[in-house]
Amino acid sequence: MSLNYIIAMILFTLGIYCLLFKRNLMKMVIGLQVMTNGLHLFLISLGYREGGIAPILAGEMLERGAAAELAATAVDPVPQALVLTSIVINVCTMALALSLAVYTYRHYGTLNPFRIRRLKG
Amino acid sequence: MIPHAPILTIVLPIFAAFLTPVVGIVAKRFGVERARDWFVVGVAILMFIIVASMVPAVWGGEVLVYKLGGWSPPWGIVLAVDGLNLLVALIIAGVVSLVAIYSVVYMERDSGLEKYYTLLMLVTAGSMGVTLTGDIFNLYVFFEIMSISSYALVAFRRNWDSVEAGVKYLVIGSLGTSLLLLSIVFLYGLIGSLNIADLAWKLVEIKATQPLPMIVPLMLALLVTGFGIKIAMVPLHAWLPDAYQAAPSAVSALLSGATTTVGIYAMLRVSYLLFGALAIGMMFIVLGLITMVAGGLMALVQRDLKRLLAYSCISQMGYILLGVGFGTTMGIQGGLFHLLNNAIYKVLLFMCAGAIVYRVGTSNLDELGGLGKNMPITATLFVVGALAISGVPPLNGFASKWTIYVAGMEAGQPICTAIAVVMSALTLAYFLKAINLMFLGQRPEHLREVKEAPPLMLFPMLMLAAFCVVFGILPGLGIDLVRPAQGAVMNQLGYIGSVMGAG
Repeated sequence: MSLNYIIAMILFTLGIYCLLFKRNLMKMVIGLQVMTNGLHLFLISLGYREGGIAPILAGEMLERGAAAELAATAVDPVPQALVLTSIVINVCTMALALSLAVYTYRHYGTLNPFRIRRLKG
Repeated sequence: MIPHAPILTIVLPIFAAFLTPVVGIVAKRFGVERARDWFVVGVAILMFIIVASMVPAVWGGEVLVYKLGGWSPPWGIVLAVDGLNLLVALIIAGVVSLVAIYSVVYMERDSGLEKYYTLLMLVTAGSMGVTLTGDIFNLYVFFEIMSISSYALVAFRRNWDSVEAGVKYLVIGSLGTSLLLLSIVFLYGLIGSLNIADLAWKLVEIKATQPLPMIVPLMLALLVTGFGIKIAMVPLHAWLPDAYQAAPSAVSALLSGATTTVGIYAMLRVSYLLFGALAIGMMFIVLGLITMVAGGLMALVQRDLKRLLAYSCISQMGYILLGVGFGTTMGIQGGLFHLLNNAIYKVLLFMCAGAIVYRVGTSNLDELGGLGKNMPITATLFVVGALAISGVPPLNGFASKWTIYVAGMEAGQPICTAIAVVMSALTLAYFLKAINLMFLGQRPEHLREVKEAPPLMLFPMLMLAAFCVVFGILPGLGIDLVRPAQGAVMNQLGYIGSVMGAG
């Protein structure tokens, strides 16, 4: 289980490294995605339970009065909903970032962020 | 109050955003393409009316709790409106209405306007969502809606400068929102709840344990960094001058009036509610001072009007942080009053800059001069805004800055107060420089034919200038406006009790 957290941390660190030190807009966008995916893995792992069941309260379980049993054995559904939302947001950010990168290349002929700096003052 | 008012203020702009292109197509078929612009103006004004309808109940001391889907807190998502968010919602709705009116003429030469208005409404919906929600993940989602649409708005014209500014804003802003998400994940892992009031209630016990868990200061740092990027707190301000310079002036006005206000609000709400005002007041004072001084000094050397305004925007954020950092009744009152005033005169100044760009085509101070003869009304309004922002009596900037100074002396921080007074004089210096370069002096030959800005652009500017004067002559009126908000900041337990009691 702790392997999940270690991998999540590695992904997050790699993403930040990529975002801060890579000299190519495409790689920076990839870094942003890797970083957020590390976050998603972290969030999913928080709600996971070893050997847990799907958090669905079916009709016949209600009749048995098994709500407490479900709460004791099911995985936490909230992080999954959060991650789904966050993935959608990320797709939007990535789409906008890539389209801006295309325009940047048209105007500047380069994707190096250190050479895209005509605005000064 | 209009029934379902809290959710209507969010839903209305979202629907309007995607209806705007349809309205545009229909209007084009009937040969009245501008009907689309007036549709957006109408929606913005309707939104303002809905927000205003909540005023009597909230100022009466009530916290409006609206349960989405009937799920009671802390399980469901709630919208909670108290004095603080109502003030911010009023500012946003007002600014958006005026910016929409201004855009009708200002943006008429651009193509793809249905996309512009869609993005404008999405920024509004995002800001309103952040302001009214009582659920921290919901806050994050609306924050992202607001941020992503503002990246797109900054790069709207797709010139080299706006694309560059958009890319910078996007990279820095996405990093900030990721840090926010990380902090929310930690909060959820620690407490297992997403409702802000519930989180605050349960954090009280955790904070009482000794030693304090390391994760609590880490979460605070992540939250302040995340929101600090949005309000361009120094040293997280690098994106702001580029974005405000390169974006169309209407967008700069919207961003300076609405999204920075929302950033301040989110920072106040989350950090004060979760971590307590007294514990982190000093942090806000230090950050505010750094922001104020660095922004002011950078503004002195600018040669571009919009860039100068952008740096002065950073500087004014410092005053607000300083005021609320004092943590006293008067300090918070002054800080929130300055938040209101800043939204008024900063939007006014960006609109004046836009009027000059619209008529002359440049905002470079070196190429302007002697425009006072050509554009007397714009010049007068700019002078009103500039004097207000510098804190010259009898304008509104003086009232709020004076409150902050008095609060600083009362809180036993004379050095901070002295720095704030000096920075105020510096503000006057760089604005006098800008006025001198633009409106006085020798008029270049090619500017002889420049005309006054169109009346539809002057109308929102006149309204804002009138507010500057009214709040300056009658500061009690402004203080009355912000007193419920200040009460809400001080009375965190009331907020928690109302939200949790709604179940």
